[in-house]
Amino acid sequence: MSDPIKRPGSCTPDEHRLHRRLFLKGLAASGVASVTSFSGLFTNSVFADIAKRAQKNVILLFLTGAPSQFETWDPKPGRPSSGPFGSIPTSIPGVHFSSLMPRCATIAHKLNVVRCMHTKQPEHLQAINLITRGAPDRAGFTRPTLGASVSAAIGQLDIKLPNFILLDPNPEGNEFKGYKASDLAGWLGPQHQPVRLGGTFTQLRRTTDAMTDDSEAREALRTYFSRRYESEHSSRMAAAENAAFEKVKGLMSSADLFDIAKLPEKDRARYGPGTFGLHTLMARQLSEQGAPFVMVANGMPWDNHTFQHEIHQMLVPELDRILHCLVTDLDDRGMLDHTLVIAMGEFGRTPWLNPARGRDHYPNAWSMMMTGCGLKRGVIVGATDEDGVDPDGTSYNEQNLFATIFTALGIDPYAEYDLTNMPTFHRVEDHAETIKDILA
Amino acid sequence: MKLEKPSEIFLPAGALGFAAVPDGSRLYAACMDGQVLEIDPAKDAKPAYVPFADKHTSYATGCALLPDGQTLISAGYDGALIWHDIAAKRSFRRVQAHQFWSWQIALSPDGELVASVTGQYLAGGEKYEPAPESEPSVKIYDTASGDLVQTFSHVPPVHCVTFSPDGQYLAAGNMMGEVRIYDVAGGRQVGGFTTPDFTCWGIIKSAHYIGGIFGLTFAPDGQSILCCGMGPMSDPMAANGKMTWQRWAWRENPPKMLGQIHDGEHGSGLMEAVCFHPDGESFLMAGRQAQGTWNAALFSADDGKLISSVDTKSRVTHAHFTPDGQTLYLAATQGQGKRDPKTKQWQDYGRIHVVPISV
Repeated sequence: MSDPIKRPGSCTPDEHRLHRRLFLKGLAASGVASVTSFSGLFTNSVFADIAKRAQKNVILLFLTGAPSQFETWDPKPGRPSSGPFGSIPTSIPGVHFSSLMPRCATIAHKLNVVRCMHTKQPEHLQAINLITRGAPDRAGFTRPTLGASVSAAIGQLDIKLPNFILLDPNPEGNEFKGYKASDLAGWLGPQHQPVRLGGTFTQLRRTTDAMTDDSEAREALRTYFSRRYESEHSSRMAAAENAAFEKVKGLMSSADLFDIAKLPEKDRARYGPGTFGLHTLMARQLSEQGAPFVMVANGMPWDNHTFQHEIHQMLVPELDRILHCLVTDLDDRGMLDHTLVIAMGEFGRTPWLNPARGRDHYPNAWSMMMTGCGLKRGVIVGATDEDGVDPDGTSYNEQNLFATIFTALGIDPYAEYDLTNMPTFHRVEDHAETIKDILA
Repeated sequence: MKLEKPSEIFLPAGALGFAAVPDGSRLYAACMDGQVLEIDPAKDAKPAYVPFADKHTSYATGCALLPDGQTLISAGYDGALIWHDIAAKRSFRRVQAHQFWSWQIALSPDGELVASVTGQYLAGGEKYEPAPESEPSVKIYDTASGDLVQTFSHVPPVHCVTFSPDGQYLAAGNMMGEVRIYDVAGGRQVGGFTTPDFTCWGIIKSAHYIGGIFGLTFAPDGQSILCCGMGPMSDPMAANGKMTWQRWAWRENPPKMLGQIHDGEHGSGLMEAVCFHPDGESFLMAGRQAQGTWNAALFSADDGKLISSVDTKSRVTHAHFTPDGQTLYLAATQGQGKRDPKTKQWQDYGRIHVVPISV
C-alpha cells in the first residue's frame, strides 16, 4: 500500500507530495482503501451557483486523540491541574482561555465553548464512534456518523460534489485508522459514505504537476473501482464506490483538477505550514463551493500520554491559528451564518499528570467549541469545578450535542429513520434535550 | 561501586531542578508548582522543607547554588530567572530571560555565569519541522549583576545545556538531536553534531517530531560529550523508546560517536539526567522506566558497561553527586495521582531520592 516507513527525518517533503499522475496510477494498480482523489475539483466556476445557493454547511475539525481542555478552553490557573501554561483574558469579559490560544481569545465573542461535556467512553475507538455517531453502539446495527446524517438530511444528491468529505492526510492513526476504514454511513447506505482524501502523508501539494487529461484520469479511476469490485465481491461496497465514482466522473468531466498551489499564498501562510492547516483551508474552499459536510482530521496527534506539554505547545497554537483563520474567513465572507464549525475531540484529558508527564483519557469533564449556523455566539456553556475534575452543575453528553447540531442545522433531531426490517431508530434517541444556551 | 537502596524525601509537587550545598546539609528543589524549596534532609519532623517567598508563575525547572552559598538562582517555564537570598528566603532580582520556557539552566564551574535555554516547538513546515527561533535560544547571564552577557542561536526547542569543566565552552541539545557547542568568551559556535537516535517522527499517530536530547554533560577532560534521551518509537505516544546515552568526540572533524548504551543493558523510557561521578571513572544516567529493571544506572566511563542500577519507580529529572562521591541525589516526580474525591486534596508527588554509594 505504501512505502516502508523510513528513518525519521530521512525523507524529504517532496517524497510526501504524491504526484497526481502517480496517485491515479497508484489507485489503479493497488488495493488502496477507498481513498479518492478529489484534488481541486471544487474551484471550478461551474459550482459558483451551487455555492451561492448553498444551504447549510458543516466543517468538523476533529481533534483526534483528544486535546486537553486545560491547555485550550478551560484553563485552571494556579491549580494543581493547570499544567505549565497560563491563561489569558478573552474578548468575553471574565472568560479566559489557555495562553496557547491568543488568537481565539480575540474572537471569543464569535465562538461558543461547552465546558461541561460529560461522556462515558474512555477508549478511543469507542469514543470516536460515540461522539461522531451520537449514541452508543448497539450490536448488529451501525448508526450513521454525523457527516452521513447531514449528507442524508441536507445533502444534494443531484450535484457533482460529495455531500460528506473526510480530509485526513495520515493513512495511519491507530484506532482512528480503524474508524476511517469502517462503515461511516451505517444504515443510511453507501451513497452517504464519505469521500476520503488521504493515503500518504499528504496528497495536497501537487504544485507543478503536468495536468493529466481527463480520459486518462477517468480510465485510472475506472480501473481502480473495477478491481476493488472484483476483489471484494461486495455489492454494498460496489454501490458505494459506484456512487463515489459517479461523483468523481462527473466532477472530472467538468472541472480542472485541484491545484493547491493556486490557492492564494497569503491564505496558505495564514493557515500555517502544517497539513492540518492546509486541509482546513481546503475545507473552507469546499464549503464555499457548497460541500455540505467536511470533516478534517490529521492522524491522531492529540493523544499525549507522554510529552503532554511538549506536544500541546505546538498543536494548540496551530489549532488556535487555524480556528481563528477559519471562523474569521467564514464570517468575512458571510458564510458563518450558514456554516456550522465544530472543533472537538472524542473526550478530554485527565486533570492529573501521569508518571510519563502526560495526560490520559478523560471523558468525565471536557470542552468543545462550536459556532456559526443556527447558534448564538460568544456563549460559554457550563463549567467545571476548580480543578476541572467534575462538571460544576449541568453537563451534556453526545446526545445533547447531536440534538443541538441537528437543531442548529434545521434538521429535526428526533425524526425516526425510515428503516425496513430494523428496530426503530431516531436521529437522536431518548428525546435528549438540546444545549439551549447556544441555540439562536 | 554500587548504588544502594535509596531513601526518599516527599515534596508537594514534582521536582524538576536540584542543587545542594557540598556537605549535603541543605538541598534545594525547583518544583512543578512554581516553588523553590530549601530542604533539610536530616530533619525528622514534617515538613522538612521551607519554600522561598517568591515563586515562578509556571513550573520551576532549575536551580543553581552560587559558590558563596548565599544565593540561589532559579529558572522556570515562565521564562524567568530569579535570584534568591538564601538566608532571607526572598528574591532580590528577577530577569525575564525568555518569551517561552527556560527548559534548563547550567552554572559555570566558577559560578560566574548561568546559562539558560529556551524555545517553543511550533510547526515550521509541512512535516511539522520546528519553526526557526523567534529569540536567541541560548542566553548567558552574569550571576553577580544579572546582566545578559552572551546569546547564541539554535533550533528550538532547546532542552538542555551544560558548561565544559574549564568553563570555556557551552553545549546545548535540542529536540532534533542537534548539539551545538559554543565558545563562551568568543561568542561563537565552534562545533556541533546531530544524532538521529533520540528523535522520532510518528506517522502511526502523529505527523510531527517528538523526543530529542534531554540531558548532556562534558566528560571531565572536556574532549567528549555525553547525551541522554530515548530512542525512536513506532508509536510516539508510548514513551517506550530505548533508554539511550551516546558519547561523542565533539572536537574531531567530523565529530565521531565514541559509544552508546550497550545492547541488553537498557530498558525503555525517557532518560533526562546524565552526569559524571566525581572520580571521573563512571557516569550516571537516569530518567523514567517504561519497561525494564532500572531507571538510574552507573556506567563505566572507560567501556560504557553498566556497573550498578536502581529503580526509584519515579521519573528522575536531575542527578547530583556530592563532592565526595558517596551520595547521589535524584530529583524526581511521580504521577500526580487523582484528587481525593472526598477531601479534594492532591497527593504529594515530588521526590528527592537519596542514594548511598558503596565501593
